Amino acid sequence: MSRPKVFLYALSTCPWCRKTKQLLTDTKVEFDFVDIDLLPDDEADAIADKAYEVSGARVFPIVVIGDDVVVGYDPDKLADLLKVGWGS
Amino acid sequence: MADTVPRKQALHYFWERIVDQIGYKFTPDEELVDFLLEQEVALEEKFEAPYCPCQRRTGVWAQDMQIICPCIPYHREHYDKMRRCWCGLFVHKDVTDPDALKQIPPDEV
Repeated sequence: MSRPKVFLYALSTCPWCRKTKQLLTDTKVEFDFVDIDLLPDDEADAIADKAYEVSGARVFPIVVIGDDVVVGYDPDKLADLLKVGWGS
Repeated sequence: MADTVPRKQALHYFWERIVDQIGYKFTPDEELVDFLLEQEVALEEKFEAPYCPCQRRTGVWAQDMQIICPCIPYHREHYDKMRRCWCGLFVHKDVTDPDALKQIPPDEV
């Protein structure tokens, strides 16, 4: 069974976004991400609108896993959706 | 590179007194405090206000003013439920283990 695509909307200034990146990296989950605040303004606005569209939130991190969305740093929810265990 | 220490110290001094009045304190996680203050000084330098490092400005002032640190009064119900603010710079006064606190999405409050 193939794993759903994982995409992280992040801000480079947000420590919880960094923790989410680290968590996904440590467990070898394939994912893409964008640090919205590092993009040119026009592009950043468009991506932030997209993040809001999928999550209804303007807080970060936002992780999209297939059809599911996780708002905030939530290792338990991520583990459940990705069917992985952390730190084992 | 600018020396950010004096501004970080100033923000710490003022914010400690402000949030104390509303039942909060700086998180005991000193490393997190230093990182977040560093980000906020940079955001203040760039955007003329210390916006929350974990929320993004919309360009609409009425919304953006609600994420200027300390933004607790604008999100009281949400933050009180988490016992911390969104970025974790501030926690309820009785919190001793900030790692035990979870971020709860705004729409789940």
